[in-house]
Amino acid sequence: MLSTKFTPKTKLTKAEIDRKWWEVGDYFRRNSLWLLMYCTGCCAIELPPSMTSAYDMERLGMGPMATPRQADILLVSGYLSLKTLRRLIYTYEQMSEPKYVVALGSCPINGGIYHDSHAVINQLDQYVPVDVYVAGCMPNPESVLNGFVDLMEGIKNKTMNGWKRYHEHYEWYKENQKNSLGEVIVHDEFHQ
Amino acid sequence: MTNSINNIEFVNELVAKTTKILKQEVIDNQQVAYEINTCDVHHLLSVLKTSGWKQLSYLSAVDWPEENKFEVVYILFNWEQPVYIQVRTKIDRENPVVDTITTVFPGAKYYEREAHEFFGIAFPGNPDYMKQLILEGWDDIPPLRKDFDPSAYSAKKFPSREYPQDYSVKDPENHTREKREARKVRGNALRTGGKKQ
Repeated sequence: MLSTKFTPKTKLTKAEIDRKWWEVGDYFRRNSLWLLMYCTGCCAIELPPSMTSAYDMERLGMGPMATPRQADILLVSGYLSLKTLRRLIYTYEQMSEPKYVVALGSCPINGGIYHDSHAVINQLDQYVPVDVYVAGCMPNPESVLNGFVDLMEGIKNKTMNGWKRYHEHYEWYKENQKNSLGEVIVHDEFHQ
Repeated sequence: MTNSINNIEFVNELVAKTTKILKQEVIDNQQVAYEINTCDVHHLLSVLKTSGWKQLSYLSAVDWPEENKFEVVYILFNWEQPVYIQVRTKIDRENPVVDTITTVFPGAKYYEREAHEFFGIAFPGNPDYMKQLILEGWDDIPPLRKDFDPSAYSAKKFPSREYPQDYSVKDPENHTREKREARKVRGNALRTGGKKQ
């Protein structure tokens, strides 16, 4: 209700004001999502048609971003080997909040055709929280874009809370990472 | 030398002159393989290197658990003659040790590290063959040995998703047959304009 000089001003609590600012922020955020493409697997080949003039991701306000600290979405396209998962966890923890994870293809869901491999993990959401899955092997550009639209809807409806879950269940995620990876720290002889 | 048959004959002569061949295999007109004794590998590779096969394309191993042997394979490439040469040698599987060839081909350093990681073959002479290269923090037997079970490792190490309903296909021959036949009937019906035949 608009306050005029005849009605008393409505007093909002701090939480209500915060919520309104978040809604304003979410409105702008969901209309300019920047992707960090972690092209781990073959689903990455679906991204050029999604980005270029055929499907034109830019009309949704989405674009590629080179650095994790400036990106909103971590796009995991395809299977994740143990080595890649270590780097992925580094990247995810470097991203500024709020951050969303979109997983393409069937491999992050249940391992896909690599379900019995010694080098490829089976379920991505055991290690980092995943907001949107796009199933398919590979998903076609329509379903990739549909996944992004779902993500935007979810941001609007405040259901994309993966980054909050990562804070709440940090120990659980760390324990899973440790069980599968041994240790998350990367030892690289060429950069040490 | 342009004729590839002549190329292979040339290689045959060269190798037979250099060392004792246990087995020879002509894979196609651009690839030829020789199985030789392990002690002759170093000599043969240095002779081939000076004769033009100066690039080591690959070094890897094959596991033969029935024979209880590892077969180490060196693939050499020549930029002048279109012939790949595979040099193969069999080593003991229980105690897999083969001397390094980094003195002939320095780039073999990383291939030897890879072979050590995936098969557990030791390469004395290469100072860091036991360093990790591809697998990080591996905690089981080398994964490309035939007695390694990748799906058991995967089940042990990586949690897999549980489904309330089993969607897997039990009978891959017939699982779509009913649908396929129904589709065929429908297609035939449409072909006659919906009239019954």
